[in-house]
Amino acid sequence: MRLIPPLLTPLLLACLALPAQADPPSYTLTIQNHRFQPEELQVAAGQRFKVIVVNRDPTPEEFESTDMHREKVVTGGGKITVYIGPLPAGTYTFFGDFHPQQARGHIVVK
Amino acid sequence: MLAIALIVFREVLEASLIVGIVLAASVGIPRRGRWVAAGVAGGVLGAALVAAFAASIAGAFQGNGQELLNATVLCLAVCMLGWHNIWMARHAREMAANAGNVGRQVASGARPLAALALITGAAVLREGSETVLFVFGILAGTQTGLAGLLAGGLLGLAGGAASGAAIYFGLLRIPLHRLFQVTSWMVLLLAAGLAAQAAAFLVQANLLPPLGNEIWDTSWLLSENSLAGRVLHTLIGYVAQPEGIQLVAFAVTLLAIGVPMKLIARPRRTTMVAAALLALGLCGLPHAAHADLQVRMPTVEYRELEFEHNGLLTFGPKGSGFDHAQSYTNSIGYGVLPWWRLELEGEMASGAGQHLYWTATTLENTFQLTEPGEYAFNLGFFAEYSQSTLRGVASGITAGPIVQKELSDTLGVDSLHTLNLFLTHEVGHDTSHATGLDIAWQSVVRWKPLIAPGFEYYGTISDIAHAGPFDRQQHLIGPVLTGQYNFAPYGTLGYEVGYLWGLTAGSPRSAIRWRLEYEIAF
Repeated sequence: MRLIPPLLTPLLLACLALPAQADPPSYTLTIQNHRFQPEELQVAAGQRFKVIVVNRDPTPEEFESTDMHREKVVTGGGKITVYIGPLPAGTYTFFGDFHPQQARGHIVVK
Repeated sequence: MLAIALIVFREVLEASLIVGIVLAASVGIPRRGRWVAAGVAGGVLGAALVAAFAASIAGAFQGNGQELLNATVLCLAVCMLGWHNIWMARHAREMAANAGNVGRQVASGARPLAALALITGAAVLREGSETVLFVFGILAGTQTGLAGLLAGGLLGLAGGAASGAAIYFGLLRIPLHRLFQVTSWMVLLLAAGLAAQAAAFLVQANLLPPLGNEIWDTSWLLSENSLAGRVLHTLIGYVAQPEGIQLVAFAVTLLAIGVPMKLIARPRRTTMVAAALLALGLCGLPHAAHADLQVRMPTVEYRELEFEHNGLLTFGPKGSGFDHAQSYTNSIGYGVLPWWRLELEGEMASGAGQHLYWTATTLENTFQLTEPGEYAFNLGFFAEYSQSTLRGVASGITAGPIVQKELSDTLGVDSLHTLNLFLTHEVGHDTSHATGLDIAWQSVVRWKPLIAPGFEYYGTISDIAHAGPFDRQQHLIGPVLTGQYNFAPYGTLGYEVGYLWGLTAGSPRSAIRWRLEYEIAF
């Protein structure tokens, strides 16, 4: 198991280097009938923010985004918090991985 | 029903491909089937548990439970894949040669059976828990009947399993002596890709900096959500829009597993290597640590931690020492004082068709003598001691001045010119008491921070008392591309890549050199 130290040391070093952060602005997405509400969020560029995903459906969903590098399961009737950013200006898409056709939305960063 | 089949297929696919590769990579290890099966069973059980406690896991660790669990499971798989690969590097030869009675051949030492079980268990657990959640979610909903769910689920499962079987039987068509070469590379890439995934989860948990949200974007070419994209995502870690940290995790894993794998592949025979290296002309340089070519800079960044990798690949006539000879250095340095940087460097080298050997360990000092831009020239002084690790190759000291000139807006461009003039001297056993001279020159035009092209020259006279005719000395010249990218506040990534032509008969016909460095204030 000599591999673990070389793999983990940079990670641990990076953890130490992280600055403390104040609570960032928060936005809420609600899932109902396998759709996100609202389907568009507007946030400020260059700023960390958090998205609270509230699942009103009895079925689980996975909040996922390829361009924002996030994937997180939210159980039926559950709630998760996803921290995102800071992001450069642009439009980023997210979707529900278990209902990728219906559950879609995007975040406009400007 | 088809929608269900598709989603189940997608989730099963990754785990199934991993199991297929691991099974092919371990052909000939006795009782591997049993351990892999145990891993799959454990993974399924674990997946059910994770799904059952999904809500409490999500709430754990300030809401970061899922991310940490995923990252841990992935890191475990990476470590086990690494262990398996390094073990196989040691035993693949004998296993391929004695496929019949491997049991006795590999009886010594722990076999990586537990690793096989843990890899498959981790893969199944990670993808399986999402499948279980999804399927039970549908049961809880009302849109689909039980029959549709069963049909869809089984169809997806069968499709995923078939992909794993396809890759396994495809790999088995490769002749045994080549099979382990192929699978060791596949396992290496698989591990690096999983490490990149783990890094993304740690960013999501705010435990790692992203180092850039999108270093490049190839989603127009191949979307990560397409079937081909997903398969490549598993097999080689394809990410359409990678974060900087994912590239770092990928590269670190590649080195952490790949280098020991290569080093272990053959037992050490130091005297033979020394002889080979001498024949190569690599040791024609006064000592091993100068086998790589690089231009030193006269500046020191106070309190900056620096990781650096240099590589050199030379080409020459077949049978000459320069034919496909390689040399690499990896070092870690720190700006201890505003004017002094200390670096520890390891060097590896090999000749054509040979394995890499650790050839020297070097302690380097860079002294910054003037503030950059304070005088007409920036001055520095370089001194190193290099301890040879090979019998028959001398250790040595190298020291000399570094002179640099910055020209701003001359002929419409900013440029940087650096000269190294180093004397080398052998010390300790096996010395010829020769004093040599190493000259290095680099001129680059600073077009953009990321792109600064130019040229460089390297000259080596191994014994200045008997310099001999010009044609016997080493002189190389060629273009170079340098640049750096600032991830403030997460440090700076720099690169150099150059192509060199040999000017004399005593030089390689040509050479490629590169350098990667990462600096961060610490």
